[in-house]
Amino acid sequence: MADNEMEVLNDRGDLGVGEDVIGDRPRRYNRKRPRQVIPDYVDWKDVDFLRQFVPERGKIMPRRISGISARDQRRLAKAIKRARSMALLPFVAD
Amino acid sequence: MANRTYEVMYIIDPETPAERVEKLNEAVSSLIQKEGGEIVRMDDIGMRELAYPIQKKTEGHYVLFEINGSGQEIAELERRMRVNDMIIRYVTVRVDEERKTAEKLRTKRETRATKRAAFRNQVPVETAEVQAEA
Repeated sequence: MADNEMEVLNDRGDLGVGEDVIGDRPRRYNRKRPRQVIPDYVDWKDVDFLRQFVPERGKIMPRRISGISARDQRRLAKAIKRARSMALLPFVAD
Repeated sequence: MANRTYEVMYIIDPETPAERVEKLNEAVSSLIQKEGGEIVRMDDIGMRELAYPIQKKTEGHYVLFEINGSGQEIAELERRMRVNDMIIRYVTVRVDEERKTAEKLRTKRETRATKRAAFRNQVPVETAEVQAEA
């Protein structure tokens, strides 16, 4: 019981990084940061690789979610955009 | 002169008969060679579904060229591709610089790794083993 009480207290009181208050309830982001290995050269023709960073809707996955470095994100975004221009990846999918 | 590497990819209308596709590819390669380019790789990817419709077509015949050259042949090639109505989409990407930075990154990482390994060998055996396990 004592353990449970502690948890409840923490959920209400502590608004650390990655928490956002919507309504009266703190919502926690899914802050998964997997170690993604991005190759030194991101090939814009490698559709299967790029797909990992394009969820169903067709948008480029934000760095917040994918957890990759800023440099990798820039290179990846460029590759995805090139692939889009050749209809290898969709601009929007629904 | 300036030696650059390009990737040229184009999509051919899916309704084009096979022999015309072949002829077109041959014409492209002969044009590149005539203009002083060197073909590193020619890849006929074939029919592929388009991610979105282009000119009301849902699939297309993809062809990829990798070219070494000065850039003149690219200018000529793009001019021809623009007016060719068999080609529904094309793109040219210069790849040599990005590959060079990738190469630089790789060598940097490797030298760092060898340095680290050399440092590890200096440490007493016991700590080295602990590090290896971790």
